[in-house]
Amino acid sequence: MKHVTLPVSPKTVHWGYFSKIVAPALTLRSGDRATIETLTHHANDDYERMISGDPGAESVFQWTREHKAVARRGSGPTEGPFIRGAGEGIGVHLLTGPVAIEGAEPGDILEVRILDIRPRPSCSACHAGRCFGSNVAANWGFHYHDLIEDPKPREVVTIFELDTSGEPYAKAVYNYVWTPQTDPDGIVHPTIDYPGVRVDHATVKKRENILSSVKVPARLHFGTMGLAPSEADFVSSIPPSYTGGNIDDWRIGKGARMFYPVAVPGAYFSVGDPHAAQGDSELGGTAIETSLTGDFEFILHKKADLAGTHLEGLDHPMLETDHAWSFYGFTYPNYLAALGAEAQTEIANHSSLDRAMRDAFRKLRRFLMTVHGLSEDEAISLLSVGADFGVTQVVDANWGVHGTIRKNIFRCD
Amino acid sequence: MSFRPFTSESYAQDDRPEAWRDVLAAVGLQPATAHSFYDGHATASHRHAVGVALTRMAAGAQSVGPLPQANEDLPIALMPLEDGMVLKSAGGHRIVPVGHLVLLPRSGDWSIVFQRDMRAIVLSVTTSALHGRLSGKPRLGEPRVVPPNGFADVFARLLDATARTLDNLSDAEWNAVAQSLVDLLLTLAHQLAASTSDAGSSATQAALLHRICQTIERRLDDPDLVPARVAQAEGISERYLQKLFETVGDNFTHYVRERRLQRAWADLSNPVEAHRSISEIAYAYGFGDSAHFSRAFRHRFGLPPREFRQQEAERATLQHGVAGQRGWPQEALAQLRTHQSVEARSNVSRSDAEEPRAAGRRHHHLPVEASRIHWGYFSRSLSPQIEITSGDTITIETLTQHASDAPDMMIAGDAGAESVFGWTREKKNVDRRGAGPMDASVFGRGAGEGFGVHICTGPVAVKDAQPGDVLEVRILDIVPRASRSPNHAGRVFGSSVAAWWGYHYNEFLGGPKPREIVTIYEIFDDPEEPHARALYSYRWEPQTDPFGVVHATYDYPGVPVAPATVKRRHAVLDGIRIPLRPHFGVIAVAPREVDFVDSVPPSYFGGNLDNWRLGKGATVYLPVSVPGALLSVGDSHATQGDGELSGTAIECSMTGTFEVILHKKADLAGQAFADLSYPLIETETDWVLTGFSHPNYLAEFGAQGQSEVYAKSSLDLAMKDAFRKMRRFLMNVKGLSEDEAIALMSAAVDFGVTQVVDGNWGVHAILSKRLFQDAT
Repeated sequence: MKHVTLPVSPKTVHWGYFSKIVAPALTLRSGDRATIETLTHHANDDYERMISGDPGAESVFQWTREHKAVARRGSGPTEGPFIRGAGEGIGVHLLTGPVAIEGAEPGDILEVRILDIRPRPSCSACHAGRCFGSNVAANWGFHYHDLIEDPKPREVVTIFELDTSGEPYAKAVYNYVWTPQTDPDGIVHPTIDYPGVRVDHATVKKRENILSSVKVPARLHFGTMGLAPSEADFVSSIPPSYTGGNIDDWRIGKGARMFYPVAVPGAYFSVGDPHAAQGDSELGGTAIETSLTGDFEFILHKKADLAGTHLEGLDHPMLETDHAWSFYGFTYPNYLAALGAEAQTEIANHSSLDRAMRDAFRKLRRFLMTVHGLSEDEAISLLSVGADFGVTQVVDANWGVHGTIRKNIFRCD
Repeated sequence: MSFRPFTSESYAQDDRPEAWRDVLAAVGLQPATAHSFYDGHATASHRHAVGVALTRMAAGAQSVGPLPQANEDLPIALMPLEDGMVLKSAGGHRIVPVGHLVLLPRSGDWSIVFQRDMRAIVLSVTTSALHGRLSGKPRLGEPRVVPPNGFADVFARLLDATARTLDNLSDAEWNAVAQSLVDLLLTLAHQLAASTSDAGSSATQAALLHRICQTIERRLDDPDLVPARVAQAEGISERYLQKLFETVGDNFTHYVRERRLQRAWADLSNPVEAHRSISEIAYAYGFGDSAHFSRAFRHRFGLPPREFRQQEAERATLQHGVAGQRGWPQEALAQLRTHQSVEARSNVSRSDAEEPRAAGRRHHHLPVEASRIHWGYFSRSLSPQIEITSGDTITIETLTQHASDAPDMMIAGDAGAESVFGWTREKKNVDRRGAGPMDASVFGRGAGEGFGVHICTGPVAVKDAQPGDVLEVRILDIVPRASRSPNHAGRVFGSSVAAWWGYHYNEFLGGPKPREIVTIYEIFDDPEEPHARALYSYRWEPQTDPFGVVHATYDYPGVPVAPATVKRRHAVLDGIRIPLRPHFGVIAVAPREVDFVDSVPPSYFGGNLDNWRLGKGATVYLPVSVPGALLSVGDSHATQGDGELSGTAIECSMTGTFEVILHKKADLAGQAFADLSYPLIETETDWVLTGFSHPNYLAEFGAQGQSEVYAKSSLDLAMKDAFRKMRRFLMNVKGLSEDEAIALMSAAVDFGVTQVVDGNWGVHAILSKRLFQDAT
């Protein structure tokens, strides 16, 4: 077993997409461990607090008229002219990786254990050592067309500070309404339509003393973790799907064990979209987006060895914690296969919790029947009285409902 | 997407009139008089395309008039639903019956009075919708009432159908429908304008253009549809034809192409046309080359025809694969002319043990027996079983309606249960089960028709409770009811049914399909690790009730299952123990809207919430709607998962002890439950807000409510409702701004699925109290 560190740099990140053809940043064997740094793609909402003085963050976010360190952001076109920028922001998350796993083949399952998660402190002169995050009530949020106060619609950025001195919690520092921002290439972004555009704080009006009586308990986790899908070379990082990705479940934190079906040789694991806290549903469109570093362990389960284990028949992501198993239902379990060529944008027109609930039900039923050997009737009775369904997210195009079943139900004499 | 839902639930009481004014303004209306602002419960679905706005609204009595604006626009089309309305204009007062269309000029001295509820569909088309379309601008001097005959009937039906499904239409679908609505409104307005004396030459020109468009519509299949031939057919010059199109900013070629694509679109999305190949359809609309058609179609609608068709087919299957719904069938409700007479209940009992307690507070005990329960419905006209005073405590025995699934274990030897379930050929102790007709004239299942199934103990009247007050119900204790049958005495049993109303019912993997399965559980209420284990299960077989009615499915509550008719399977869920979450599925106060309300769909008055967080130590706050509040409790559950997927929990008779506190309307300010219009749950650690597909389905759907609510449930709607309620709670109770509230919901509020089986589906929002503790 070896333990390596993967820092963030323009060479170790890819922005806004999963890809089976990007060169791996690291190659590991089953059983190896890695410490992986991740950056939030919202760091530029407050450059001073989240980027300034941090060599890794500065190198990734660097963007002047002459030089854009990471040009492609999203799975869209990379040849201009652009509406929003290279990659067109079809996919937004800064992902570190990919990590290739030796010997991984389609049909295998990759287990990823999160051993630890730590926040990434600010390096700026004024805020050194303190940790910050950004929450954006964005145009893709569930609330956006249903606002009651003026101006309608509007996007609001709230900057939080994460306090880890005791029981970790986040506290709001200030917020502002998004104003059109001009990027170094001269493209104006009237809404938040492209990731990593530095917000010019001279153009926004900061409001302090907000959420002054509120402490948000921290739930450090990675919103986006997953493997490269096989269907396309560049796949938007926004909709979660059968190889994981932007699941946005806060339970995927320290101690979690995620299982993903391998779709391409080498598996190609990437991680990013770090969150300090998020509620079930991620209602406004984002969590408290905070750069984090994680310790991971990778275990490859070969296809031939799956029968008779709890991984038998798994063709979608599964979470195991000390207490429960969770399954992720999506509007489309594999939207890339279901929706064809335009899937990556088309999926946003189909978002529905009703379909996601249906999918979660089917996945749990399959698990109980295949893995626990229950009859269909037993499985359905148990799902009604012993499984809990919750709303994972309603903002990632392919909406999610998770179904959780507690392990102590099976602890028996 | 352009769909915009509105509900007064989003707004604090004081903000509602202004919000409602916005809803009216979107379709060119405003309150008719300054003081006729409506501030009660109101909902609306609204969708707009360029220049087109369609709103279906449901609100209380009020009157509306025109919002003064540019007079260029087409007349407003308004259609009352369910109840007529009164049209006041210079021509006097006219009653407009349901289903009649009214075309209203954009200005002038008219108003419409909704004397009971306002339920109407309003279509507003402005000139911007006519861009590139052929039409004159028909003017009306006076409001015109159009009875639903012939063409107007088609228009009315399309309006109605569209308004019902506004939120489900994709943007492309909606745009196509909106265009058709514009077409139809134009034609109708032309007809009416032409029939009035003030029709000038522009009206003639517009009418000609309109006729040409209709000719084009009939001949879209003709690949040689060229201006010359159309002009010839109308006896005008080609140049004049083109000029006619120019007057409305379009040209012939573009118009024809657009119509062809729209018609092809309609056929491709129509399952009836599934047998025709795409090239056949293309050919039928004048596209000789299917590759060309494919490109044009994709360019216009964003999807190639093949993918589009596949997607539509999938959507259709999804919608049609649904089993019969619970509750009232719509046809039966339509035929229901008069309310069933109120059953006399004069058995108010004062014989209950009343033990004086400290400070004048009393403890009461409400045992369960046939005369103390109501089965399957809530009603404002039930006589209370007992009256208590705010601050009193009361122990209420409840029975599960599923005790009859294993009568030998859950009924035999238990005097209370035997009394409630007592049913022989001669005598049925509790006849009415459900809110349906007593003569079972709808399905013939039995009295009440099983439109509602829960055995509810009560109602308990609370002294001085008045509409507008809030009733706080604290659950102090819950104790399972042990079997009193000689063979099983002291043990506790429950039943869970994977029933035909379950979420799984339409998609069994194995046969026989479909089937209903009853699983009997034993409950082990030991303090260490309270849990349930399955004893046996059986497949439901047709059961003949003592009156001789055969129940092929689980369609009527309390039918005793004869052991000889079913085959028990033992060793089910072997080795599985399910942790207990004892709670009451049903806690309700009586609703105000109708007399007999199905107990299945939860709503603003509480009812079948089916949220397991309503256990010991929890409190529920309910808005009082009738004098005395009339509290009922039932549907006790040993445990349930979020979702209640199969249709039931582990249904188990239990006895609860409650403390009931009345908060008078005048004293609500500053409380967490001020401005309460829904059941609010408080636990030691959390606030739990209950969202429903339709927060007040009785008010929203009116007379059709008890049927519609089953047909129109959706987690997406329930999620919206939960979001709005939580936003309101954070803004009004916690004093946050909207932006703060939304940031907090993203970062810290958990939304979960409550149930997907009770007609009115539920999503709850959980706000941890920790968030607001000791913030510095």
